[in-house]
Formats: sequence, C-alpha cells, structure tokens
Amino acid sequence: MRLGLDEAGVTELLAAAEHAHALAVVAAALLLDGLGSKGGLVELVDPLKARDEVAGTLADIEALARNALGVEVVPAVWRALAGNPFYLDATWQKERVLMADGRLTALDKRRVGLAVAMNARVRYWIEYHAAVLRHAGGTDADLLEILGVVDHYNSLNLITTAMQIESDIRPPAGH
Amino acid sequence: MTTIRLLDPAEATGRAQAIFEAVLLRERKVFGATAVSNVWRCMAHVPEYLEANWNRSRALMQRGRFTPLQRELIAVAVSAANRCHY
Repeated sequence: MRLGLDEAGVTELLAAAEHAHALAVVAAALLLDGLGSKGGLVELVDPLKARDEVAGTLADIEALARNALGVEVVPAVWRALAGNPFYLDATWQKERVLMADGRLTALDKRRVGLAVAMNARVRYWIEYHAAVLRHAGGTDADLLEILGVVDHYNSLNLITTAMQIESDIRPPAGH
Repeated sequence: MTTIRLLDPAEATGRAQAIFEAVLLRERKVFGATAVSNVWRCMAHVPEYLEANWNRSRALMQRGRFTPLQRELIAVAVSAANRCHY
C-alpha cells in the first residue's frame, strides 16, 4: 500500500472493495443477468405493493437511483433483497454509508466498485456501476482505463502469487 | 518462500538492465523505492516477458485521464479481491 492515504482512507478503500465484491456475489447468486433483469432466483418485490417494513427503504433507494443512475425504478438487486426486510435494510445502509463521499469521493468508490465487479465477472454490477459512472459523465475511455488497471493487476497478482513473491513494499517509517 | 530466484539487478544486462533502470526511476518517484521491487525482478529471467509487462504497466498506469492515485485505488481493490498478498 503506497497511496498517501491515511488509515481511514485506506479503510474506506477496502470497505468499498469488500462491499462491491460482496454485492457481486449476491447478484450472481440471485441469478440477476443484468441491470434490466426481471428476476431470477427469487421474486423481485414490487415497490408499489411492498409491505410497510420495506416500502420506506425502497422509496429511499428509488430516490438515490434517480440521482445516481437517472432511472425511475428500484434496481433489481434491491427489489430481490426486499424479500427479507432485515437483509435489505442492513445491506442498503451499508451501501449508503460506504459509497458516499468521504476521504475518497463517491465517484472514485464507484470506479473501485466497477473494477471489482469486472474482476468478479458479474454482469449485473458491471452494468450498474458503469451506468452510475456514465450518468456522471463517464466515457468509454474511462471504462477502458479502469479495465486496463483491472487487467494489468490480474497479471501481476497471478505472477506474484504463483511464484510466491514476498512483498518488499513497506509502509513508510512510523507506521 | 519464492519459488524462483529473484534476478539481482546487478546481473541484468541489455534490455532487462535498461528496464530495471526505468522501473527504479519510476518507483523512486512514486513511492520512494530504493531498489527494483520483487515483482519486476521475478519476471526478468525472460527479458521479453519483463518488457511486455513493463510496457503494459506504462500504458495502463501512467497514461489516461485519471490521477495516479485513482488508478492505484483500483489496483489495490483488485489485488485485495484476488487475495494477493504481494
């Protein structure tokens, strides 16, 4: 780690990566095949017919989706999780807290999310994160730049892991 | 334990030597390195391999619209997801 970030910044980065990875597993497990998915493993809860326990959260998600994605619908992954109100609430709270501006900007975290989704090869979240970035003005060149880093670090990770190369990158003195 | 001997930069000749010099120059600037890092040394037994990855590193990590920090954020996230200790 050699980012010039403080400990909270590094934790934010790893939190965004961990969260994006966890949600990539979730979308794949739910058999959601893309941002426009109509469902898969479980029924997608209709926000208009939702029980009271999840209606508020789904309305909150819809407002954020309108801002971030420019769409008027609740994304499928959240509608699927709404079948379990506790699961939906806890996961959505985590998304709101971790993906907001902090030491890292929300957009930088979104780029990290896209990179992790690409790395996990999960179409649903690749489309989701890319849609957020495009809505904020991101271009094909931006997406290719992110993919390039993902690609290059897959190469370097494989070679260093396979050859069991010990890390010689040390934190700065005093850490 | 590494499964391969890390090439000592002092042993490098020709293309590998030139690339090691370029690597050290960049690493010194980016994070204050004093020696070529192990990831590059392990590839140098096949200089063409070292060169191919170094060229990709320059193309993908030094060019573009994002800041070096923004690219490094992605690199760390991917490495973490791949459980890469290095």
